[in-house]
Amino acid sequence: MSDVLSVLSKQLHNREITSVELTKKYIRKIEETNPGINALVHTDFEKALAMAAEADRRLDAEGADAPFLCGIPFALKDNICSDGDLTTCCSKILEGFRPYYDATVYSKLKEQGAVLVGKANMDEFAMGSTSESSCYGAPKNPRDPEYVTGGSSGGSAAAVAAGMVPYALGSDTGGSIRQPASYCGVVGLKPTYGSVSRYGLIAYGSSLDQIGPLTTSVRDAAAIFDVIRGVDDRDNTSVDHEFGNVTDSLGTTSLKGLRIGVAEELFDGISPAVDAAIRAALDFYQAEGAEIVKLSIPALKVALPVYYIIACAEASSNLGRYDGIRYGYRADDYANIDDMIYKTRSEGFGKEVKKRIMLGTYVLSSGYYDAYYKKACIIRETINEEFAKVFADQADVLLAPVAPSVAPKLGESGKASSIEMYVSDLCTVPINIAGLPAISLPCGKDASGLPVGMQIIGPKFSEGKILDIAWQYEQKAGNPFAVEGGVSV
Amino acid sequence: MEVSDIKKLATLARLRFSEEEMEQFLKEMDEIVAFADTINNSVEGSTDQIRGVGSYDITYEELRPDEVRESLPNEKILSNVEGDKGCFVVKRCVK
Repeated sequence: MSDVLSVLSKQLHNREITSVELTKKYIRKIEETNPGINALVHTDFEKALAMAAEADRRLDAEGADAPFLCGIPFALKDNICSDGDLTTCCSKILEGFRPYYDATVYSKLKEQGAVLVGKANMDEFAMGSTSESSCYGAPKNPRDPEYVTGGSSGGSAAAVAAGMVPYALGSDTGGSIRQPASYCGVVGLKPTYGSVSRYGLIAYGSSLDQIGPLTTSVRDAAAIFDVIRGVDDRDNTSVDHEFGNVTDSLGTTSLKGLRIGVAEELFDGISPAVDAAIRAALDFYQAEGAEIVKLSIPALKVALPVYYIIACAEASSNLGRYDGIRYGYRADDYANIDDMIYKTRSEGFGKEVKKRIMLGTYVLSSGYYDAYYKKACIIRETINEEFAKVFADQADVLLAPVAPSVAPKLGESGKASSIEMYVSDLCTVPINIAGLPAISLPCGKDASGLPVGMQIIGPKFSEGKILDIAWQYEQKAGNPFAVEGGVSV
Repeated sequence: MEVSDIKKLATLARLRFSEEEMEQFLKEMDEIVAFADTINNSVEGSTDQIRGVGSYDITYEELRPDEVRESLPNEKILSNVEGDKGCFVVKRCVK
């Protein structure tokens, strides 16, 4: 198995291929595959080829000193701003919106000479777990197009799984990187809250949102993380943490004596296929000398409602800015300014977004604030403390499923109740509540060949450790969806 | 929850719903609020038993100097909608 980004970077630096040739190759793949998969919703190939030509000039001039990602194409989730490019959160209310500035993560990739080819499909405003609430229609799972990609970063995961881009960025508020990565058989990293700047990420739940990479291998995820992390004075929740070079440190963590915690609450209601794949992964680590520690984190039993209360409260506030005056969709016919705002919002937001705004408004409203929002924040502290105690006393990392089952078929979520849908987030939301890092990587297939993912969760700022533990699994146990890197032109 | 509650929330959220949507919303909101209510039924039956000792206030320790910086140019800010003389333009509403 090879790491796509390492191979492409080497080919570009050795000038075996040019960035323009490589970008054209990915554009052909997008033109051929995207009409059936619907992973990318906005593309600007002319701009991409101009960026590629600029990268080639830099590779020619700087040679081996050119940055690692110079000349390599990628996609951004449709909620990450890039100056002048359509960025719509897959919502009618941001129809036609072109931001006037770059998100910090995009600035960092641009500094490397990376080539943006497009924006990836997602659930409207990142609210969902199947990407079916996108105003552009759902993306389809490249492993089997009858199934969902997961969400909300479903387009990012599908674009990577289908080989339309070698990597993409997504955002994770309650599992939105890890769960689609799991459903599509790719790697997804949700960094520690504060590791990566959120400046330029269109907000959903500001205390939960975090940007991270989706890739085909763990090393590639580490390489992207090394580029996008870091403190940013435009995001005062970002943290100045000294990680060292995470990619270069892969292989330095000993699995012998490593304590891997298995929290019973994260295994509640999982399907036999997921259970079997996770047990096999645990057996692998045990055979490598790790100690499997069964443990309990009682507060996780109320993590789901805590998450939905906090996320919706923050969403109702964050989405208050969409009034049709300064950007995006505006209703045509209105009697006065209030009427314009009501009509714009009612016509512009989709059903799930309205539902979450309404719940958020409810839990923040006078008379209910203490009973819901304040109480959820208090329980959040308890969840933080219980995780911290587990990492201090019982386990170095936790291993858990990413989702209770493999990807459902397209259209099935429409038949389920809201609560049935929310319950499928059980394994992922506690990690956002506590602001922890977690990596999702493929660890098996079900009987029909659909991917199963596992997540490795660590204490805050332990990205280096969880990436290494995942990397060692991938090296020795293999990745059932591994791809070969490199291209010939 | 009553239809009047949904109407009040919709006003606070600056949203409008048809009567049909309102009925559907009422059903769903009842279900979602019941779900949210489960925080009051903690592991042992009462939230008090798992209540945290920490503060729920978010504190920001990283503050940047309060310095004036270059801002985005006016024409760029107005580039997404109709603008005139540096202002956002909406239809005349006051006669």
